[in-house]
Amino acid sequence: MTLSSRRLLGGAMLAAVAGFALLGPLHGADPLRQNLSATLLPPGAGHPLGTDHLGRDMLARLAAGARLSFGYALLAALAAAVPGTLLGLLAALRGGWPERLLLGLADAVQALPALLLVVLVTAFAPGEFLPLYIGVALALWVEFFRISRNTAAGVLARPQVEAARLLGLGTGHILRRHLWPEVAALTATLFAFAAGTAVTTVAALAFVGVGARPPVPEWGSMMTELLPYHAEAPLALLLPALLIFLTVLGLHLLAGRERA
Amino acid sequence: MSLIVEKLRIRGPEGVLVQGASFALAPGEPLVLLGETGSGKSLLAQAVMGTLPPGLRAEGRILLDGRDLLPLPPRERRALWGRRIAMLPQEPWAALDPTMRAEAQVAEVDRLVHRHGAAEARRRAAARLAHLGLQGAGRRYPFQLSGGMNQRVALAATEAAGAALLIADEPTKGLDAALRDTAGALLRAEAEAGRMLLVITHDVALARLLGGQAMVMLSGAVVEAGALPGLLEAPQHDYTRRLVAAEPSRWQDWPRRPPGRAIVEGNGLHKRLGGRELFGGLDMSIGEGEVVAVAGPSGCGKTTLGNLLLGLARPDRGQVRRGAWVAPLGLQKLYQDPVAAFTPHQTLGQGIAELRRRHGLAEDRAAGLLPRLRLQPALLGRRPSEVSGGELQRFGLLRALLLDPALLFADEATSRLDPLTQQEVMALLRECVEERGTALLLVTHETALAEKAAGRVLRLGT
Repeated sequence: MTLSSRRLLGGAMLAAVAGFALLGPLHGADPLRQNLSATLLPPGAGHPLGTDHLGRDMLARLAAGARLSFGYALLAALAAAVPGTLLGLLAALRGGWPERLLLGLADAVQALPALLLVVLVTAFAPGEFLPLYIGVALALWVEFFRISRNTAAGVLARPQVEAARLLGLGTGHILRRHLWPEVAALTATLFAFAAGTAVTTVAALAFVGVGARPPVPEWGSMMTELLPYHAEAPLALLLPALLIFLTVLGLHLLAGRERA
Repeated sequence: MSLIVEKLRIRGPEGVLVQGASFALAPGEPLVLLGETGSGKSLLAQAVMGTLPPGLRAEGRILLDGRDLLPLPPRERRALWGRRIAMLPQEPWAALDPTMRAEAQVAEVDRLVHRHGAAEARRRAAARLAHLGLQGAGRRYPFQLSGGMNQRVALAATEAAGAALLIADEPTKGLDAALRDTAGALLRAEAEAGRMLLVITHDVALARLLGGQAMVMLSGAVVEAGALPGLLEAPQHDYTRRLVAAEPSRWQDWPRRPPGRAIVEGNGLHKRLGGRELFGGLDMSIGEGEVVAVAGPSGCGKTTLGNLLLGLARPDRGQVRRGAWVAPLGLQKLYQDPVAAFTPHQTLGQGIAELRRRHGLAEDRAAGLLPRLRLQPALLGRRPSEVSGGELQRFGLLRALLLDPALLFADEATSRLDPLTQQEVMALLRECVEERGTALLLVTHETALAEKAAGRVLRLGT
């Protein structure tokens, strides 16, 4: 498969998930309304994707989950990418003690398992979403920092930068014309991977009961709720898993780079 | 054993790149293909080897021991590599495996090509390396060896494969004069040992060293052929004449002028690099309008000395003083590899415009310099990778001249250019010295160039 067709496929998967997120509200069902006389229904009239163990509409819940997972994952990736990349550029340009300090901090963060870090941050406000995403961003910025710092340091060692300095072109020029074009390409790729990681991290934590909690329609917590009914309604359990799969694979395909 | 090439024509998507070249190669007598970058000499070698870039097609006949290679499928052509035809790579230090010791790289050939046992292969490899004067280097990695030594390791590996036809593409690229002589002697020894040798080069001195036959190529056509050294002593074609005249040893001496005010002065400079002392207690000063050359073998600290004077590096001891009258941006530098000295992310015109805006320079300054440096204005719309090395080096000169430098540091600025382009760039530098009184610091490994151009030659590491 060529790079462009991989990207196209990835884009199509993400568009499908996004379309799904928008389609939900049109369907009109309340993702939280229970109907104990219509539990674990198979797909059919009124409930295109069936209902869960409390009789809630699956389509409405999955669509709400898509908005939650997808939207917040992008926010978390952004919250990691912007400071991470900027700090990396700063470290490479400034050198000296700020660089050593930031590198030490990055080492310290990476020495902690990422999931543990998120759990620790979430402990400040259990059940809230904001600390969950702050935790994810805190775990993810390190990669942006390292990539941008290492790329920038490599470029800064090239004769082109020495020449620009001799010509009196200044740091702004070096940032814009020498460093940014190289760092930006890598950062964009990393961003897609980071968003994928954020989706799986949040879902995995919700699955074990951290972060999102029932009845919030989050994909991971939906799977936890539906797990006891896997024999009666395998489709209901499969659907959130399928959406996570599509989202993460789509992001990774989109992030694909030319292989050397 | 013979190689006969008949009416070889190489076509690309935009037309014919090499037109009907014919030659014959026999053991013992090297054939040297001379020509500038883009003349098609490397394509000719690639056609023989069977490694033409995609999209290019060869027509005619290439007979190796009577068998035409061109109709053979790629798999059969590959089967000839190493065993029948070997290519000594350009810049072998980049072609060797950095994670393998020298001896292992050679022994691997004996093991994989000739199916010798490990111990036997090692014994053979050691003997080959010793034969090329590399005793004791077998346990070292390529990055621990000099350029010339790496080249000999690569040569030992091709010898091990036992190919009767050896193709060497620019074997002296990146080597200084002493190493070039050694490389030439090694290659000649290969021919004398009964191998067929095809050497591609723009280096007239190497051609003279090798002897044998030579063909001169210009824009895809063979313009002159004959025996060496006669061909170079009495060249018939105009291009060959210019090529021979472009050798630095044939240049006229540049006029010597008394230096003016001191631009930069170094006193008692000490510098160590990688645990080795490059120089200790060195004094050096450059005056207005003066041409000073720093010569010496690779790795002796020539570039470092220039960088110290420009303030790009600090000496361990001693001090560098700049004349109080020299503008802050009055010291400029030209680089060995011009492509590396430009950001690839903007066109040349954008780069110059940015420089102009930054320093509030008049718009017609650059426009006026373009014809002076024989640069077409259309080139401004291109990126650094889209112009030739000579053109890019002239753009490097242009952007330096925009700042009216008191001193230009040319760091091997012409060593990667072919002889005619080198001559042209050097002529432009000479004009700068004569017309603007710019001082020139030349770092070069070419002794002849240093002696012709500079009023003063500082030899390092001797």
